[in-house]
Amino acid sequence: MLGLGIAALGVALGLGLIGFGALTGMSRQPEAIGRLQVVMLIAFAFVELVFLLSVFVAPGIVKGM
Amino acid sequence: MGGLFTLGSSLIAEAEQTHEGLSYLGLWVNVLFVLAILFGLMSYAKKGLNERVFKNPITQGFEQVYLFIENMCVVIIGNHGRKYVPMVMVLWLVIFTGNIVALFLGESPTADLSFNFAMALIAVGYVQYEGVRANGLFGHVKHFAGPKLGGVLVIISGLIFVVELISEVLKNVSLSLRLFGNIHGGHVAVESMNKLGEPILVPYGMFLLPIKLLTCVVQAMIFTLLTCVYISLVTHHEEGHGERHAPAAAH
Amino acid sequence: MSTERNSGGAAAVVVATVIGIGLMMGGMYVSLNVHLGFVEAMNKSGIPFDPGKTVSMMGVLLILFPVIRIFFIAPLAAAIGGRTSELERTFAEAEELRGEMTKMRSEYEHRLVQTEADARERIQAEIKKAQELGQALRAEAASHADELRRKAEREIEAEKNRVLTELRLHVVNLSLGATEKLLGENMDSATNRKLVQDFVDKAGAAR
Repeated sequence: MLGLGIAALGVALGLGLIGFGALTGMSRQPEAIGRLQVVMLIAFAFVELVFLLSVFVAPGIVKGM
Repeated sequence: MGGLFTLGSSLIAEAEQTHEGLSYLGLWVNVLFVLAILFGLMSYAKKGLNERVFKNPITQGFEQVYLFIENMCVVIIGNHGRKYVPMVMVLWLVIFTGNIVALFLGESPTADLSFNFAMALIAVGYVQYEGVRANGLFGHVKHFAGPKLGGVLVIISGLIFVVELISEVLKNVSLSLRLFGNIHGGHVAVESMNKLGEPILVPYGMFLLPIKLLTCVVQAMIFTLLTCVYISLVTHHEEGHGERHAPAAAH
Repeated sequence: MSTERNSGGAAAVVVATVIGIGLMMGGMYVSLNVHLGFVEAMNKSGIPFDPGKTVSMMGVLLILFPVIRIFFIAPLAAAIGGRTSELERTFAEAEELRGEMTKMRSEYEHRLVQTEADARERIQAEIKKAQELGQALRAEAASHADELRRKAEREIEAEKNRVLTELRLHVVNLSLGATEKLLGENMDSATNRKLVQDFVDKAGAAR
């Protein structure tokens, strides 16, 4: 349970950082919003994937050991 | 430490008691249901296709989707990305319809890991096929080895090759697990929030509907977007476009 | 390219259908009869994964891709492309028409300006001609008047001379008559006449 919390914490930090970076970039260069959104979503996806992996895969692996 | 993970897995197991995966027949029923909806919409939209201006709202919606995906393909893959539009659009439509079904029903194909894994296998397999077709078999395999290195650094090339192979397999897992986790996780979240509001008879889970709707669109988009990125990675060496996406995709 | 892709597409549909049906059958068999160890482990650890379902669904998707492409996406793309090209054509036509209109307008304006200039020139020429004519007429009239005046002056001069001559004759006659009456017949008429004549001439010269 605590592990889930830690994972969520890390993912939240990561998502916040990505959002922060994307928003900063967008406000600096409004004409690049389209590209930034695409890249931001990709980064979101990877951060989210880490969380999903930790939730769904890690318990199984640890139990199997 | 072990207790921690047993706790986590027991939590998931508890969730699984309410949501064990679909049976074989159940998945078939769900898939056919989704496909029936999809084909019904498409045949309805096809009627409005012959007008000069699309007045049929369903047709307009499909047109928007088509233009969006075409734009995505052209931006990410490049000028030759237009020929991948049908494949990407089919993926998008299936995932989106499945997600919308998952909004209202407890089960849906996209909430089933096996179905998502099948989709991811198809997508990544198609990417490999395109890579082989674009670079030749040898060129495609060589692409895994990364940049050309001489002398002792060949060992590093071999390492990169192995890492790339693993990442190629992980693409499947990441694509399918992401979709599964989001849709299925949405279900679990709704269930647990409903359980939370049970004593006062308020279905809290329903308040998650807007964010789940957002998830539907975003997940369909991310799946197709990553497929586009993978395609652009394997078909785009000569224009130096793929290198920019490489750090993003080499997870 | 397109025909090749079409024929290739038909072959691909057949191949995909055959492979897809095969995969479906295989998947069903796997799902119902084969129990793999790692799948059991995964299921136990909370990942509901069934390779049989995956294989069958791969078959379904393989069939689905060409079917949806032919059933819907190709007509949609054709419709959108046709509409876009039609729009582009209409737009190009409008653009062309506009260019033509602009050209015509500029031509018209040019012609208008030219016509105006022409008209002005002609008006100027007419005015000039009229002025010249007027001047000529005036000059002619002036010369005519001059001539008339000269003629009149000449006539007046002639009349004056005539009247003077007549007057002189008359004076001579009168003075002759008066002298005759004064001096009687003894006077030589010829000598007297001469004397009187001289006198009158002197008087005329003195006058």
